[in-house]
Amino acid sequence: MLALIQALADGVMIGGVYAVISIGLTLVFGVMGIVNFAQAEFLMLGMFAAWFLWAYVGLDPLLAAPIAFVLVGGLGMLTQELLLRRVMHAPPVAQIFLTVGLLIVLENGALLVFGSDYRSVSTPYQAQALKLGPIFVSVPYLLAFVASAISGLALWFFLRASPYGRAMRATAQDPMAARLSGIDADAMRRLAFGLGVGLTAFGGAVILPYLTVSPTVGGQFVVLMFTVVVIGGLGSIAGAVVGGLFVGIVQSLSGLVFPIQLQNLVLFCVFIAVLALRPEGLLGARR
Amino acid sequence: MTRPTKLAAAALALLAALCLPLGLDHQGYAIRVATLVFLFGAMAQSWNVVGGLANQMSLGHAAFFGIGAYTSTLLLIHAGLSPWLGMLAGGVLGGLAAALISLPTMRLSGHYFALATLAFGEVMRVVANSWAGLTGGPVGLSVPFAPDSLALFNFKSTVPHYYIALAALCLVTAIFVWIRNSALGYRLRAVRENVDAAEVVGVDTARTKLVAAVISGVLMAMTGTLYAQLNFFFDPDTVFGAAPISIRVALIAIVGGVGTAIGPIVGALVIIPLEEAANLFLSSQVAGLSGFAYGLILIAVILVQPHGLAAIGRRFQRKSKGAS
Repeated sequence: MLALIQALADGVMIGGVYAVISIGLTLVFGVMGIVNFAQAEFLMLGMFAAWFLWAYVGLDPLLAAPIAFVLVGGLGMLTQELLLRRVMHAPPVAQIFLTVGLLIVLENGALLVFGSDYRSVSTPYQAQALKLGPIFVSVPYLLAFVASAISGLALWFFLRASPYGRAMRATAQDPMAARLSGIDADAMRRLAFGLGVGLTAFGGAVILPYLTVSPTVGGQFVVLMFTVVVIGGLGSIAGAVVGGLFVGIVQSLSGLVFPIQLQNLVLFCVFIAVLALRPEGLLGARR
Repeated sequence: MTRPTKLAAAALALLAALCLPLGLDHQGYAIRVATLVFLFGAMAQSWNVVGGLANQMSLGHAAFFGIGAYTSTLLLIHAGLSPWLGMLAGGVLGGLAAALISLPTMRLSGHYFALATLAFGEVMRVVANSWAGLTGGPVGLSVPFAPDSLALFNFKSTVPHYYIALAALCLVTAIFVWIRNSALGYRLRAVRENVDAAEVVGVDTARTKLVAAVISGVLMAMTGTLYAQLNFFFDPDTVFGAAPISIRVALIAIVGGVGTAIGPIVGALVIIPLEEAANLFLSSQVAGLSGFAYGLILIAVILVQPHGLAAIGRRFQRKSKGAS
């Protein structure tokens, strides 16, 4: 029973981070209608940005996370302007394979520039845990969770309350109507893609204290992120939060029963089942 | 091109392909690359049945390919069954797997279908990696050595593999053309253009998609056996991998021209030698350079020529027709 509660607590912690990295993916789909297969590579870039800031500037990854957000977000806006904008009205094939090409370029580019080494950081809180009654809460998990929650709330506030956020939501709902009311849809897509991949990079930076980074780290997250957004409904931000927590908990609980490589199998099966039975997501958002 | 010119061109190309080994070293690298071109052409053509005719962008065809490779090799190891028969068994299992995955993904299209099939391929990869009792796990499987024998599909020279791969490509292409021109092909086109309209005029859209998926799965699984016998060794991450198989075959068809019979052949002729050259010249320099170049070319093709290279030829024709 105790193991169960412990697994639940861990699941919520990791799930919170999954939620934030997946919000980026769902935001991109919501505004642009494109599934970005390269999204996990931006997570990898965020992790590398945080690692270099830690190694050369001595910055804690949690403090480096906002910088990773800005750097990768800028790169994302550039990507949207130079590449994705050109396939906005192309058939899905072109969109899918453009982002697949981007995935290959980013992964191999990282291999070229950073080498294939696995890198990790050391922080004073790395091995610490808080004792809350009968269960332990790992400090790096907790900090990553808190940072994720703050960034998620910030995004939510941005979308709800700022004029840019409202314009972005309008573009997501109806690009034509948005344009008629004077919104620059191209600018909104650029902003959405930058924000989306920046947020994913932010998530990458905050998980660095308990993971290692290498050019291929994206592969571990790609199907996971898709599972999260599909469970929540592609394009729904609240859905990504629920999906993230759900996936974190499923992963953590299935860890009690199955060996590690089968944990992903459980996720994949959930993923296919959700796609088949409720492609609009468990929450039933219309987009 | 008119139909007779097309046939003449195809016959000429086939003749050239038949004569090619005469000029090449029988154990050499060049003939191996040529064999891979035909093999991957056949795989991309199998994918084209679903990806091109039904316009369902599958990113999980490695599932069927791996099933084919494992079925024939395991039957050869444990029962001594000839890979030719193992190939048929693999085809049946591949078809069953295709039917299985079709049921839940039938109603999906576009990005959703791509995601679901991607996950299915990954499921198969994880299963093959973890079920070590059956598959040997991540270590991989070696095809048992046998003396030179057609019956056991075992050759020292690459030349027989070359002709078998060529035959496979011709056969799959013939099946593709036949389906495209058959009633099934017309139903598939109706489904591709507009599912609801097809349903209204009485096309059983679910059945149509299912039949196409099963044919594609059977053919893809059979090419898995050819690959296993050519390579003598494979592991789950290669035959069930998304990047080395699923994405690659889709890419070949897309670069060449989705939904056309010539597309996968053109695509394989471009992509496979390009990959081999990149590996040969670039990977010895720095890790990642060849992959980097490969990705850039992919992006460039999609941005410059989103309908595939086959469309370039068509455009020239139209121009010359307009001029005459």
